[in-house]
Order: sequence, then C-alpha cells, then structure tokens
Amino acid sequence: MATFILFRAVFGYLFLVLIVRIVGRRPGKQLTPFEFVLIFYLGGLTLTGIVGTEASLTNAITQILTIASCHYVLSRLRARSTRVTRILCGVPVTLFQQGAWHTETLSKMRIQDDDVMDIARESGIKSPSGIGTAVLETFGEISILPTPSKKDEPNA
Amino acid sequence: MPEPTVIDSATDSIPKVHDEVSVGANLEFQRKWWRFEHIVWSVFFLILLADLLGAFGRGWLAKAHRSTPDQALTVDYERIARASTPSILSLHFSPPAIRDNHIQVFLSDSIIQQLGAQRISPQPVVSAAGEGGITYTFAATRAPAIVQISLQPQFPGSHAFRIQLANEPAIQASTFVLP
Repeated sequence: MATFILFRAVFGYLFLVLIVRIVGRRPGKQLTPFEFVLIFYLGGLTLTGIVGTEASLTNAITQILTIASCHYVLSRLRARSTRVTRILCGVPVTLFQQGAWHTETLSKMRIQDDDVMDIARESGIKSPSGIGTAVLETFGEISILPTPSKKDEPNA
Repeated sequence: MPEPTVIDSATDSIPKVHDEVSVGANLEFQRKWWRFEHIVWSVFFLILLADLLGAFGRGWLAKAHRSTPDQALTVDYERIARASTPSILSLHFSPPAIRDNHIQVFLSDSIIQQLGAQRISPQPVVSAAGEGGITYTFAATRAPAIVQISLQPQFPGSHAFRIQLANEPAIQASTFVLP
C-alpha cells in the first residue's frame, strides 16, 4: 500500500529527528567512534523498518522524495518560527560565566569542566580565570569568549 | 552632516546585552526541555519494558491459546503480531479430532490473506476452498497431533480468524498486527 510506505518514511524521519535531539549534543568538532556507531546503527535500523520487504526503485524514489519534502517543511518552519527552532535545534547554553561554572547545566548536558578546558586551551587559555563565557552551541561545539582583560593582553 | 550608520535588519534583530552580542542562551526553555527529555526517557523505558513482556508481540503477553470445549482442538496463536515478521499458528489435536485416520479442519480466509499463511506443516492430503475459507484434510495416526502454519502478516490492524473441526464448535480469535 503506497500510503503506508510513505507514512513509514515520514514516521522514520521524524522519529530519528526526535531520537537525535533527545540523545543530546556532545562537545567537539568531530564525531567520536562512539557517536559513529550511534549514527550508523540508528540509520541502519530505521532503514530496515522503513523499506521493509519493498526494495523497488520506485519505493526508494518515493521515500527519498517524501523525506526530502519533510526536511524542506521542517526547514521552512524552522526559518519562520523561533519556537520551532528551539524545539528542533535547542538553544545555546552557558557553561561558565563570570568565574563560575554552571554546574546544573554541565550535569544535565553530560559535559565535564575538562571538556570546556580542552576547548579553552585551543584558544590559548590556560585556566578558568581566562574564560569570560563558555557556551555550548546548538551545533555541539563549545564557544569560548575570553575575559576582556585577558583578550587585551598581547600573548592571549 | 555625518552620514547615519546603516544597520541592516539582520544585524538589528540580533539581541544584545550591555552592547555585547547575546549568546542566545535561554535557560527557561532549556529547563523545560530537560523536563521533556526526562519524560521521554521514562516513556522509552516503559516501551522497552512492555516490549520485553511481549506487549508488542513475540513475548509472553502476546501468546494466547483457545480450545474447543472437549479439547479436541487447541490453537496456540499470537494475539499481537508484527507486520512482515514470521509467527507460528499451532493446531493441537487430541483423540476426538482424529476420525478414520484423518483430521478435517476449516481455516477462514483471513488466515491465508490478512495473516499471510506461508506454509502448512505437514502438507494436507486434500484442500477444498469454500464457505469463506479452506477446509484441509490431514492424514493422521494417533493423538497427539500437531499442525503448524507459518504466518507473516503484511499489513497492520486487527484481523479476526476462525478455525473449526468438523462437527465441533468454531474457535474464533483475532490477532492485532503492529506496523
């Protein structure tokens, strides 16, 4: 049944969007092997359920078009609505500000202060006192804004 | 007179705090999201628990059986099955079901069509279509005797079926097929 096949594609796409959003952001510019396993395994398992026994080219094309349409609709909604953007992508969260770690946020986002310091060292900051604000961005990276006094120093 | 500074609409819409570009953090939303995540993880746990118990088929809660009043026929089936997933329908026959070294049993069309019967073991000696189903005649020696039907339903939904021995009341049941 064609409707059922397309419904499976839509459900699979939305379900994966939810799962990836729930599993959460991890800091870092590259995927770790741990995350590679997650991404490929989720994709493979979803594919099995969506395609099922109907491995025709027609089925593949209609399902790809369905998922592309879903993605287009979500992208349009995301561009038009801040609320949808927050739900789909999340919001940046502050991990460190004004000399204090935001421990609740670190704990809930499953991030350690060492992760923040790893990124800070890439910017030449050696201690938390050099960090003005540390933010976990929606795309998973940690941004470090140095303290103004450190920024002005020649070797900072 | 100096030219006024032109601020395009995109730059103008970026929120600022103390003349610095705001990072866009929204702890109130994030706390709501954490609560939502907590609920979703609880739901995930309940789904997995229900799955282990067989609430979604292929487990303890999914298995069911029905018998005729004299126990001549007992049917083991799955009340919950999964689409495109094999399952077995077992028919257990006791002595009253065997007459002249034969067992004659009627299976409704829904077992063949909606529930997707793939194979019957052992093969029947005679198959006769009619009355909304197929009447199979199996060669049999002595009880107990078992006939197994491999099923593989293709479409989700509730599918009722009927199985009846000659001169016995029918066994009626249904299987709910999950997508």
